[in-house]
Formats: sequence, C-alpha cells, structure tokens
Amino acid sequence: MAVTSKTAPAAVTATATTADKPPNKFKQALPQYAAVSPFFILFAIFGAFPVLFSIWISFHSWDGIGEMTWVGLEQYNYLLSDATFWKAIGNTLIIWVLSTVPMLLLALVIANALHNATRFRTFYRVAYFIPNVTSVVAITLVFGSIFSNNFGLLNAFLQSIGLGQVEWLTQPWGIKIAIATIITWRWVGYNAIIYLAGLQAISADVYEAAKVDGASSRQTFWRITVPMMRPVILFTAVTSTIGGLQIFTESRVLFGDTNNIGGPGDAGLTIVSYLYQSAFITNQFGYGAAIGWALFVLIVLFSIINWRLIGGNDDERLTRRAARRVERRIAAQNAKKTAEKTAAAKETADVR
Amino acid sequence: MTLSRRKFLAVGTSAAAAAAAGLTGCGSRSSLGGSNELSMWTWVGSVNDDLISQAEKAIPGYDGMKLAMTRIGTNYKTKVLTALAGKSLVPDIVAINDDVATYFPNADQFHDLFELGAKDLEKDFLPWKWKLGITPENKMMAYPMDTGPTALFYRTDIFTKAGVDIDPAAVAGLAPDWDAYIELGKKLKQAVPGSAITDNIQGVYDYRMAQQPKRYMTADGQYIGDQEHVRQSFDLAVRVVKEGLSANAQNSSDKNAVVTNGKLVAYNAAVWWAQLGPKNAAPKTKGLWRVTAAPGGAGNRGGSFLGITKYCKNPEAAFAFISWLESAKNQAQAFLDPVLFPSTPAAYTDPTLTAPDPFFGGQRIVDVFAESAKKYPGAYFSPYDSIIGTPIGKELVNIEASGKDPDLAWSDAQRQIERELTRAGAI
Repeated sequence: MAVTSKTAPAAVTATATTADKPPNKFKQALPQYAAVSPFFILFAIFGAFPVLFSIWISFHSWDGIGEMTWVGLEQYNYLLSDATFWKAIGNTLIIWVLSTVPMLLLALVIANALHNATRFRTFYRVAYFIPNVTSVVAITLVFGSIFSNNFGLLNAFLQSIGLGQVEWLTQPWGIKIAIATIITWRWVGYNAIIYLAGLQAISADVYEAAKVDGASSRQTFWRITVPMMRPVILFTAVTSTIGGLQIFTESRVLFGDTNNIGGPGDAGLTIVSYLYQSAFITNQFGYGAAIGWALFVLIVLFSIINWRLIGGNDDERLTRRAARRVERRIAAQNAKKTAEKTAAAKETADVR
Repeated sequence: MTLSRRKFLAVGTSAAAAAAAGLTGCGSRSSLGGSNELSMWTWVGSVNDDLISQAEKAIPGYDGMKLAMTRIGTNYKTKVLTALAGKSLVPDIVAINDDVATYFPNADQFHDLFELGAKDLEKDFLPWKWKLGITPENKMMAYPMDTGPTALFYRTDIFTKAGVDIDPAAVAGLAPDWDAYIELGKKLKQAVPGSAITDNIQGVYDYRMAQQPKRYMTADGQYIGDQEHVRQSFDLAVRVVKEGLSANAQNSSDKNAVVTNGKLVAYNAAVWWAQLGPKNAAPKTKGLWRVTAAPGGAGNRGGSFLGITKYCKNPEAAFAFISWLESAKNQAQAFLDPVLFPSTPAAYTDPTLTAPDPFFGGQRIVDVFAESAKKYPGAYFSPYDSIIGTPIGKELVNIEASGKDPDLAWSDAQRQIERELTRAGAI
C-alpha cells in the first residue's frame, strides 16, 4: 500500500480505479498517532531507554563518571562466581518463604473472617489495609526499635517473662525473621482484601448446594472455597513472589547507617540491596546492571514455577485432567473385561 | 480558521518532543544555573548557613557573581555522579566527602586548583589535609574544608565511680596506648558492669587505622592492606571484643542507645562524634563528658573538600568563593554552626573555638582536637580504599556478631579484597 502510493502513476491508477480508497492511510491517521504519542515518547525516554541502557552498561565496566570500558560478559562471569551474590539470593529466598507463607495463610484466614463478619465490616477492612499504605521507612523504624538489641520492646517483653534476650539484629536468623515480620505485617491486609474480593465472587448457590449435601464447614472450605479461589491465590502468589524477590527497603533502613547495608554478616543482604550496594555505594554500575538482569531472570523463573504449581490455564487443565481420568477408567474397564474374558475362556478351556 | 484540534495536537506533540530533547540535553555542555550565578551542590550540614547567604547576595571579592547553593539530601554522591555522567547541567562547585580519592581516576572532570592560584594559600592549611586533595599526578583536584581529628571521649561520672582520676591530663597519662586503654576499660567494667569502651568492633579498627601513617595502598599503587599495620589494627579490634569491652551496637539506633543508656563510658572517636553521639543522643549527660588525647596517638577520620568541575562557567570566581569560604576566619564560624573542625590552624586560636563548652563541663575541647590535628602524621588514601575497607569491616562484624574465627575472617577478607582489586584493575 505504502509503496504503491509513493509512486505517482500507481497512485493515480489507484485513485482512478478505487475511488473510495484513501491515498495515504498514515497521513490520515497522523492526528490519532499524535494524540497517543505523548505516552509513547515519555515511555521511550523514561521506560524503554533505561531498560535498554542497563543491558548496554552490564557489558561494560563503568564507575559513573569516566569512560565506559567494554568487558563483554565479564560482569556476568564474575556474578556467577561471586559468593556474596549467591548469599544474597539465598537470603532473599529465605526471607521470601518466611514472609510469604505465613502472610498468604493469614490473609486467607482474615479474608474468611471478614467475609463472615456481620458487624463493622468496613472498619475491619480499613483496619487491615492501613499497614499497606503506611510508609515502609516509618514501619521499619518502628520495627527496628521493637527488635533492637539494646532497647528493643520485644527483648524487654521476653525478659519480663523470663525467656532471656535474643540478639535480633545481629544474629543471621534474627535478622531474617525481623525483616520477614515487617513484610508480613505490611502485606497481609492487602492480600486479605484481594482474597475477600475473590470470596465474594463465589456464587452463594454453590455453598447452598454443599449445605444441602450435608458438607461440613471444613469440607466446604477445602473442597469449594480454595479450588474456586485458585486464580486469586495464583495472583497473590505471583505478585508476592515478585515483591518478595525485590525486598530492599526493610534491610536498607534497619542497617542503613553503614556502607554494609546487609547488616552483620550480610545476613539481611537481599538481591536488590546488593544491586544498590554495587551500583550506588561502590560505584560499579556495570555490575549493578548485571545483577539487575540476573534478578529479572530469577523473577521470570519463579513466576513460571508458581504458575505451574498453583495455576495454569485452569479450565483447560481441569477438563484435560477429567478427560484423562475418563480415559483411564475406560481403559481400566476394558482391561478388566478382557481379563475376565480371557479368564472365562481359560476356565472353559480348562473344563473342556 | 483559528486553532483547530489537529493544529493543537501538532503543536502539543512538537512541544513534547522538544521537551524530551531538552531533557536528554544532546551535546550541550553547560553548567547549572544562570550566567551570573555559580551553582554549588553540597549535603546537609556541610557549610555554615550565614556564610552561604552572604555569598548568595554577592560573592565577596568578586563582583557580579553570586552563589546558588542546593542542599542535596540523601544519595549525594550518586546524584553528583549522575550529573557528571550527563555532561550537562553540572554544578560549578561540588562538595566532596572524605572518599575524595575515589574521584582521582576522573580528575579530568575537575579544574586543577593549582592553575587557579591555590599554591599561595597552602601555608594556611594543615599540610596532610592539603595533600589529600592532590592526585598522584600532582594535580590539585579538591580544596580542603573541615577535618576529623580524633580524641578520647569519656564519662566523668562513671570514671569517678570506678575511682579513676577524671582530669583530662591524668586520663591521657593513664591510657597512653591501646594496651593501657584496654586495662582501663577492664577496671571500669569491674566497677560498673556493662561498661564498654567502643560501640562495636569496627569502631576500634577504624579509629586505630585512622592513627596509622599508611593505609591500604602506597602512592605508587602497591597493595599493602595485608601487612602488619592493618593486621595489628584488626587484632586489636578483636582483642577489645574478646575482653568484653564492646557494646556490640551494629546499627545507628543501637549506637545511639548505648550512648543514651550509659553503656558506652569511653570512646576514641573523631571530633564530629561529639555532635552525632552524646549531644544528640544523650543531651541529659551534659557536663559529664570530657575529652583527652587518644590512646595510640593523633588520628583523623572524616573531613571534606570542595571541587570545581570542568563545566564551571567562571573558574576564577569559583576559586575566589571557595578560598573565601575556607579562610581561617570563616572556618572558625563554621565550627560553631554545623560543627566542622577547621583545616586551618590559624582558626584554632579564634575566640569562637576556644570558648569553653558547657556540654564538656566547660572544657576547651578545641585544644585537644587541635593538638591531634597538628600531630596527625597523614596517610595516603587510594581510590580503592573503600573497596578494600568494606570486606575487612564485614569480616570484623562477623567476628563480633556470630563468633567467626578471627584468622579465618582475616583470610576471607584478604581473598575478597584480591578478587575486588583484580576486577577493579588495581593489581
């Protein structure tokens, strides 16, 4: 189309033969393109360019001021043999499990309670959601004083009931538990609200049918609520995986005053903390970008695992599974029949 | 026909495109601010407000130019690097922290202050401080601001309880070196259980290193961070912890807590700690603190600089401004407000500094720090000091926080340093 309209004779013949065809579609659509362009221009500058640039600098060694030097895959090579990087991955995964598992379970319980609540429903919903809109830095400062070794509320409490004190912010597990607690506290309400929305979308008919069939409340929960909530649970699992792999602020604020932002023994060093430390504290921007891309790969990987474990294309999978089950049953029946037949044949043969 | 919708959209789009082009700043190499003003970036609490507001009207001794200063909040260095990387809208003058050597590989981004006449002013400054702003290629990249001489801070009430003479001269005599200081610490701990003489293991190491005449590299690029002077500081820090004299405070709120609750009874620290430590964290201890010469000799930790970027629109005016701001008289004034210890010895006798400090029981603390600043031997800071110091610090924390074997920690730190230095191309 564009090619023909450029050459004058062709254009002439085109207009001559098909009168209703416009001479240049692009020109006609220009105002529309112009109207939507601000987003694309801004996205190109602030979205696409930084992403592409980060790939570019991950192949370079750059201290932020001088010339970039091309090092090829050297940064990634170093990354793979960097013990601190692997430690950061390990820490992130431990903190993620420590925070996400209790968080999602709690959220489901809370959502169920909210769903069944009869009085002050809005109040409870708002109350559970408030931690999520509070500044992470403020939350972390408060939790920092709760977990503090020297003046922490938690230690004061533990001591008052005779359990002695735990050095929360210097012991490797203490640090991880402290960070996981902050994350759980902050996100549990958010997930509960999402679950609540999912619960309310389940038709009451299903529950009534279950009631008629005499299902207990536990059976109803595990056989109806959880399976029907599956897409919602998948959504929260994927979002908390992505969020969990990007944990940063909590350890940054808890141990923020030194260059060592991972806390004692790097026990609170997450992947993003390590990225930040590499790029903005030790000024190795190329290495920081490489860590960023490693994180990207990791997030993709975990999202796929989650998808496979919890969800997938639900309907299709269920029907496929049902079809397989039916097939299996038919096959089993056929096998049984043939076995019976042969047995009968044998029997008759034996009798003869 | 007036402004049609189409025309409006076209104008809007081209305006957006123009703005986008302006943001990327293609090719233009200019400094920030108007043509009659010098832009300056610094962090919070690094200059005296009165002096700056004076210069904002007109730079003294340089007519027709005035200052426009911006206080950059957190991530100061990142923002400076970003501006320099962008090669336009760079401030004319930037403040540089004590990691000044990390800028040396990029000294071409700054004016050589020798060319602007800095040599004539050298005699006014502490010689070791002056040297820190000069690159190995003998280019003066950074002009001295404040310094961070070290001394021993101690709590007189606890010392009295332990039956130790609280007179500064007596304390200095009692703990001339670190061995004697540890003995003193043990005595204090016996009298007042829980007493600590450092906030954490790194406190000892950093301040011991701050007294050494050499650090991690020689000026010609040899790595010496595995040598005796570093190992000795490392072992000393481990010893203080093993004797139970460290408060094991690893983060800022804990560090404040041990000052507030009186656990930290003595601390060998830099002058700025007076403000950050006791004055901020424990205002109730006013009058109970004293300062004396540090065990192990004079030291320096911290202190900052000013650099003039190569994008500067008027380097002569910028130099006139920084040499005025850092004159002995004005440095003395800066000591009062954000508590910056002058790098000009002439300021040490200025009445604003020699006034007795009620927080320290009316002691003239400037005398102690001035003595330390003058006696400090000076040491060479390499561009790689921070990447060498970080693994050592981390391993020290491992020893204190999780009981890691010191020899293993040392060898782990050295292995990590070797890796980092190889990557940085330093060895």
